[in-house]
Amino acid sequence: MRSLPVADPGVPDARSPFRYLWWIARGQAGPLLIGIGYAILWWLGQAMVPLTLGKAIDGLTARDAESLVRWSAILLGLGALTAFGGVMRHRLAVYNWLSAAYRTVQVTVRQATRLGPTLPKRLSTGEVISVGNSDIANIGNAVDVLLRGVGAVVAIGTVTVILLVTSSQLGLMVLAGVPLMAVAVTPLLRPLHRRQHRHRDLQGDLATRASDIVAGLRVLRGIGGEAVFAGRYREESQQVRAAGVRVASIDATLEGAQLLLPGILIAFVTWRGAHFALDGTITVGQLVSFYGYALFLVGPLRTLTEAADRLTKGHVAARRVVRILSLDPEIAGEGTATTEGGDLVDAASGVTLEHGRFTALACAVPEDAIAVAERLGHYTAAEVTFGGVPLADLPTREVRSRILVADNAARLFGGRLADQLDVRGRADADHLREALHAACAEDIVDALPDGTDSQIAEAGREFSGGQQQRLRLARALLADPEVLILIEPTSAVDAHTEARIADRLAKARQGRTTLVCTTSPLVLDRADTVIFLQDGRVRAEGAHRALLTADPEYAATVTRGEG
Amino acid sequence: MSAQRQILPVADQAQVRAYARRLTLKYPGRLALALGLHGLAAVAGLAGPRLLGELVEGVRDGTGVNVDQIALAIAGFIAVQAVLIRFAVYVSAKLGEKVLAELREEFVDRVLALPLSTVERAGSGDLVTRTSRDVDALSRTVRQAVPETLIAVVAGAFVLGALALVGPLLLLPSLVAVPLLWISTRWYLKRARDGYLRENAAYAEMTDGLSETVEGARTVEAFGLQGTRHERTDRDIARSWAAERYTLRLRTVWFPAVEFGYVLPIVATLLAGGLFYLNGWVALAQVTAATLYVQQLIDPLDRLLSWVDELQVGGASMARLLGVAGVPDDRSAGDRRPGGERLTAEDVRYAYREGHDVLHGVSLEIAPGERLAMVGPSGAGKSTLGRLLAGIHGPRTGAVEVGGVPLVELPLPELRGHVALVTQEHHVFRGSLRDNVLIARPDAEDAAVRDALAAVDALDWVDALPDGLDTRVGSGGLAVSPAQAQQIALARLVLADPHTLVLDEATSLIDPRAARDLERSLAAVLAGRTVIAIAHRLHTAHDADRVAVVEDGRVSELGSHEELVAARGAYAALWESWHGTPR
Repeated sequence: MRSLPVADPGVPDARSPFRYLWWIARGQAGPLLIGIGYAILWWLGQAMVPLTLGKAIDGLTARDAESLVRWSAILLGLGALTAFGGVMRHRLAVYNWLSAAYRTVQVTVRQATRLGPTLPKRLSTGEVISVGNSDIANIGNAVDVLLRGVGAVVAIGTVTVILLVTSSQLGLMVLAGVPLMAVAVTPLLRPLHRRQHRHRDLQGDLATRASDIVAGLRVLRGIGGEAVFAGRYREESQQVRAAGVRVASIDATLEGAQLLLPGILIAFVTWRGAHFALDGTITVGQLVSFYGYALFLVGPLRTLTEAADRLTKGHVAARRVVRILSLDPEIAGEGTATTEGGDLVDAASGVTLEHGRFTALACAVPEDAIAVAERLGHYTAAEVTFGGVPLADLPTREVRSRILVADNAARLFGGRLADQLDVRGRADADHLREALHAACAEDIVDALPDGTDSQIAEAGREFSGGQQQRLRLARALLADPEVLILIEPTSAVDAHTEARIADRLAKARQGRTTLVCTTSPLVLDRADTVIFLQDGRVRAEGAHRALLTADPEYAATVTRGEG
Repeated sequence: MSAQRQILPVADQAQVRAYARRLTLKYPGRLALALGLHGLAAVAGLAGPRLLGELVEGVRDGTGVNVDQIALAIAGFIAVQAVLIRFAVYVSAKLGEKVLAELREEFVDRVLALPLSTVERAGSGDLVTRTSRDVDALSRTVRQAVPETLIAVVAGAFVLGALALVGPLLLLPSLVAVPLLWISTRWYLKRARDGYLRENAAYAEMTDGLSETVEGARTVEAFGLQGTRHERTDRDIARSWAAERYTLRLRTVWFPAVEFGYVLPIVATLLAGGLFYLNGWVALAQVTAATLYVQQLIDPLDRLLSWVDELQVGGASMARLLGVAGVPDDRSAGDRRPGGERLTAEDVRYAYREGHDVLHGVSLEIAPGERLAMVGPSGAGKSTLGRLLAGIHGPRTGAVEVGGVPLVELPLPELRGHVALVTQEHHVFRGSLRDNVLIARPDAEDAAVRDALAAVDALDWVDALPDGLDTRVGSGGLAVSPAQAQQIALARLVLADPHTLVLDEATSLIDPRAARDLERSLAAVLAGRTVIAIAHRLHTAHDADRVAVVEDGRVSELGSHEELVAARGAYAALWESWHGTPR
């Protein structure tokens, strides 16, 4: 077995759920086919048992000890073959299951990173998480059942041939009876699937509810809403239970039917067979094997039902995956133009970031400033030029690497702190120290057991809001982009620290284009130019102190209503 | 990365067994009914081989056997068995659903009772996996594995009984595979549990990574981290694959042993029975029936063994679910009730990591109705002190008391009546906006909800929403801004109306000007309440009755704004740096 994961999962076929499953299957065609081979071997080993048993009984009725021993030995050999085929089938089934599941994780992650900012807009987190939690398992199940399913079909075919050769009349009976039995349970399947669907939806909601509780646990513990949420969860849990019972009622009927239908066939075959045996058309041993076959056929038939079920579920899971995979980034970013860089100009607001300067953007309505930043960073399509070239004409990757918008919703990732700060992997120890100094984050690192080598938890959860903000700032500085756009980078730090950061930030970004959206007088005072935005348009531009005296609106905005 | 991260504990085997036993025996009546039905079904299933044995002998002898009657009887027994199975499955599934619902509800209760410091450190991914994948795995166990195991035992016992009735002599060869099955299964089970635990943990890491990437998709793109995230995913998958391979190796040994163990008794019964027959010790009907019975034994045996496997998986999941309860409680409620609302902290020390105190002997006394502001540099211990004052954590040494009773000795509902905490974290719950505000006081009227929203200046934008209070928010609903989320959090608190409020930078994400307006309207609503506000904006301190400056885990200055400015200490310096620019 090749080790997993594959280095390159390839480009998924996301045109339809079926095509996606087909793409998965094609990607592992080798192991899949080998697995199917073993599954066939495994089934055939079992399918030969009633025949052998019948031969042994015939030996017995003929009082032929040698024949009895021979057929017993063959039976044992079949057992060994079945055991071997069974375990090999299982190994390949697991391999194929995992291969399909892992590949789905890989393409989902790759798609998430491709979608970038589009993803949180289009999908709820829970939707994507459910891919990891249940959909990949269902896709794995669908691939897995192919092995046994194909084997079951072959087994049914083989048994049919054996029966036809032994007695064409009885063989035809079984041949007609088996599909009849299979068809007879289908009326149950549709309501079963409907109820299963409903059950699954409710289960999904319940899981989302549970995740919601986990995510908001801090809040709940702070304010004391535990009882309400426990109650709400209980209510939904009981709904899931009721839906589960509804599924079980059909499931149970199906279980009974799966026993009854082949049972009737068994009785019928036995009845006719016994008459044939009395006539001498078949031997007693053959009667026993007919009985055995009618019994045996329950197994492969059940596998076929299971296969239909799993393939349906796999299809549903694939539909969700395909929905994610078929999304496209809102900003296509297929442009091929290049730019020397230079001034960054937003036509809609009139904001111009002059090359190499430290600009601050102050605005009474923070959302307006964010809108400008989003346009300048090419997160929303707009008429923005960089060194005279429209951003829309540049490849997105290029825009992102040259213009970095760092906001407070940005995430820290788990792992070694130094790696998580120096995400582009270009900084040396000195750079790292400088950036931490500029962001006033040295104390955070000092408090960690292994300094910047410490492992930090996912999303930097162990840090307070202010600490996270400073670490994010250090990360943004270390990325050292041509244009750095910071949105309220000091909103969660105290005044003292803020003053220090403002000083150091200006120095750290000396000669690089920088925009800070803020209303903090401490930061505004350090900027080369302050742009004052009102109603989404530039109202005034100049040095902080000059604006303070010249524009009372500006003064009112930045003195934080303390006038 | 798991080496550093303190993952939530996992229950040990004895705990899992005790819990499983308790669960199994919780509804003895229903359990007996389910088992009884399955037992009867098994009995009905035993008739077939017996009748066929008679048929075979009759046909061979060619003497007056009534083929039609026997065939009809076979059909009749099968029909009875099918009906019994139908009800048996339904009854046991119903019981399973009931037990399962209780199980997951208990689990969520345990999650909701988790000490907070644990949740922060364990990473939500671990907990999310437990709430989703482990609950799923356990549901399979409870819905199927447990009933199937019991049923298999019942059915197996009946088949063996029938075999003994057919001919005690024929029972012997059927036992030939017992040592093989026993030894291989023991070998397997000894190793399987740890293997499956590792497998689950590796899987959790993988889904953790997936959720980190998905939730941080924008950040990933902004920093060009695509490659790094892909590598992390592939590394996680490789680790999961290694864990899966280990258990697969175990099964590679166990499965063939078991499968071979099934066929061995059939061959032995046939051969030995045949030789017995040839020697005239038993009849042909007996050999036929015995061989078919032994074959019929495979099904319950196989179910038993395959569900043992599944029971292990379920057991591993159960261990993880129960483990949540294994987190030691950080408080034990006493009988004493506070006499008044005076909040005091006395020589309080606290450490997140042993030997690293973040508070070094803090003492504070807060009068009822007072507004105290805490200021100080980031990381000085303000938030920690705030959490101690809200009774979230207990101090390592010293005491935090309300009305003379330590906060951590109050039962939770009682504590909430005295103190509540709102942090800068702004989780919006899935549900309507109304639900989000109602959390601490679910019986409140809409008018009260609207008042609470008005008190935090949020009513305007809420009313502007097309569905108003009914607007769905949170995951999958309308995305509200962080500032709006903070307003919602504050409105919750206003509605909860505790005597003392601890606001940990609760307005930090709201634009400064609006924040001040909000704080003023909030103050009007909260008149008479004790408010402890942790703030980095000095206007909050300016507006408070007293200011506590927290530096390096100590209260370095304490007094009114004017007093502190006059004292010309650290606070005065802060104030100046704030107002250093011309106005």
